[in-house]
Amino acid sequence: MSEPPKVYVADLNSDARKAPVRVAFITRRTSAAVQASDEERMMTHPGVFFRVLVAIEALAIALVWIALLVDAPLEQLADPMHTPNPAKAPWYFLGLQELLHYFPPVVAGVMIPGLVVLALIVIPYFNVNVEGGGLFLRDRVKRVKIAAGVVVVFCIFLVAFEVWVALAPTLLMAALMAVAARQAAGGQTQGLPAKPLSFWIMTWFLAELILLTAVGTFFRGPGWSWVLPWKGY
Amino acid sequence: MAENDKNYPLDEDDDLSRRQFCVKLGVGSILVAGAGTALFAYQYLSPNVLYEPSPTVNAGKPDRYPPESVTLDPAAGIYVVRGAEGFFALSAVCTHLGCLTAYKPELGIIACPCHGSKFRKDGTKIEGPAPNPLPWLRVWVSDEGDLMVDRSAVLPDRQYVRI
Amino acid sequence: MAKSLTTYFEELRRTRVWRSIFRSGPAGTRLHRSLVVQQNIFLHLFATKARKRVMSFSATWYLGALTFGTFLILAITGVLLMLYYHPSVPQAYADMKDLQFVVSSGVFLRNLHRWSAHAMVFLVFAHMFKVFYRGAYRPPREFNWVIGVILLLVTLLLSYTGYLLPWDQLAYWAVTVGSNIASAVPLMGHTIRYLLLGGNQVNANALLRFYVLHCMVLPVTAVLLIGVHFWRIRKDGGLYVPESASTEAETPVAGITGANLSSKTAGGRHE
Repeated sequence: MSEPPKVYVADLNSDARKAPVRVAFITRRTSAAVQASDEERMMTHPGVFFRVLVAIEALAIALVWIALLVDAPLEQLADPMHTPNPAKAPWYFLGLQELLHYFPPVVAGVMIPGLVVLALIVIPYFNVNVEGGGLFLRDRVKRVKIAAGVVVVFCIFLVAFEVWVALAPTLLMAALMAVAARQAAGGQTQGLPAKPLSFWIMTWFLAELILLTAVGTFFRGPGWSWVLPWKGY
Repeated sequence: MAENDKNYPLDEDDDLSRRQFCVKLGVGSILVAGAGTALFAYQYLSPNVLYEPSPTVNAGKPDRYPPESVTLDPAAGIYVVRGAEGFFALSAVCTHLGCLTAYKPELGIIACPCHGSKFRKDGTKIEGPAPNPLPWLRVWVSDEGDLMVDRSAVLPDRQYVRI
Repeated sequence: MAKSLTTYFEELRRTRVWRSIFRSGPAGTRLHRSLVVQQNIFLHLFATKARKRVMSFSATWYLGALTFGTFLILAITGVLLMLYYHPSVPQAYADMKDLQFVVSSGVFLRNLHRWSAHAMVFLVFAHMFKVFYRGAYRPPREFNWVIGVILLLVTLLLSYTGYLLPWDQLAYWAVTVGSNIASAVPLMGHTIRYLLLGGNQVNANALLRFYVLHCMVLPVTAVLLIGVHFWRIRKDGGLYVPESASTEAETPVAGITGANLSSKTAGGRHE
């Protein structure tokens, strides 16, 4: 009315009435999706902390038991003049080492891991199918044809390079996809037909990872030859 | 805690409720585990085997040492002294802060370069900040006839080895 | 007896020294429980409240927390092992033998370190797949996923650099093979290998470089990225669970959840 509006100046005065401190700034657009929700909550202390503590404790107990019972390996002193046969990488790289058997190092050692890492990084930025709709729930016939074509081309490529090991998971995933398409044709909308393309690709990758690592660990002996683990070498 | 106890009244004050028992059990196990960890940590941190030279030093044949001589062995950190009464050994490490002392033949004393402590040939202090005289070390003659000095064995009184 | 212990502890908590360190007071009320989280430099990375659905076991299997747990075990056992390990050739191998036969609890610590390392690699892969299959990488959590992938690479590198340190046949040839793969990178391969090994062969320089990477460079990187990773979880609105059938649309709504609101933080505009 007659009084000019009070001007609040942000300064170091800690009296909130004289110098109000900005607590939160609500804007129309924020960089992260911050949603108000009415969900039931629990206190972080003790709720979250105790649960996480128990989980880590259980892990620690399991690891301590294993550490007490099983010794870590220690072979002879490193000898640059004598290469052991086979010379195997740590288990998490054995999948890679198995691939090295089929492809030159540039491909199996650099290109494939590089592409895998790149693909992993890029996954969330693909706008395709963000809603996660099932692959075979729309345009089923066309998509089945495309999927079959890709699988066939890929299998030809694998056979051409004699990468039999990688063939098995590919065929397995193809079979599962066929089942999903068949179920979708029958009107089923839950379960396999509801899985999006990203699921199929990732599960194929997981299957390949498991099989390649298992082969590299158990089925490869001296000279990287094929051995059956129960027969020993 | 109190509300639940209404349905399960405890007989005496010494009885524990289930919750109190569990808490005691938990805290007790943590204390036991903690004590065990501390013990094992101490054992881990103190080495069982040391890669350090042995305290016993072979000082060679007695004839090497002229009579009335004070010979410093800097690697071993000892003086082998051949006096009138016989052989004895002094630690050459200054008792002040651990510097290696030196024998000054022209002055007939042992002097420490770090803070100016001075000792006589029998290890007693002349002057300086050193709190104690240079300790006497155990000397004996080995089966081969060599003088042996044990740097970890400090003699409480003066003992001479006569050849 | 126990009663006096509890009362003694409570008396301790009422002393001036204790209250000068732990200022939030006994955590008996929701306010004090919030203060415990909010006024602690390590714990205030968390929100004061968490959604109950997120904490159920089936949501995450606690894989992220377990991975972090193995990381802690590795850091502690690693520092203890460093006290007896000389990163020189061939002393390193002799030190491994010492740890197994001479040092009290040496074999246990070494075993724990090794098996925790394998467990961490396994758990970090499992965590990645679990996050993928429950869709927790989708916007707005894309960048946190990328940080996770980088952490996966850091974990693999930590495991790989640690693998060389025992300097036994297993270690030496695994690293030889690995460095030769690195040299297959076009154009820069040989330079990469030269820098990684500090020379043309796997020798004392390589051991020292791998030791520095394993004990200093990579752990510091990991700690920093883990901090960012945890922080992004909070800033992205907490752990992800699929929304229940009813409520919100995907469009970002300006507002502040109970999880983010606290009297001291400036929630603020962030770009």
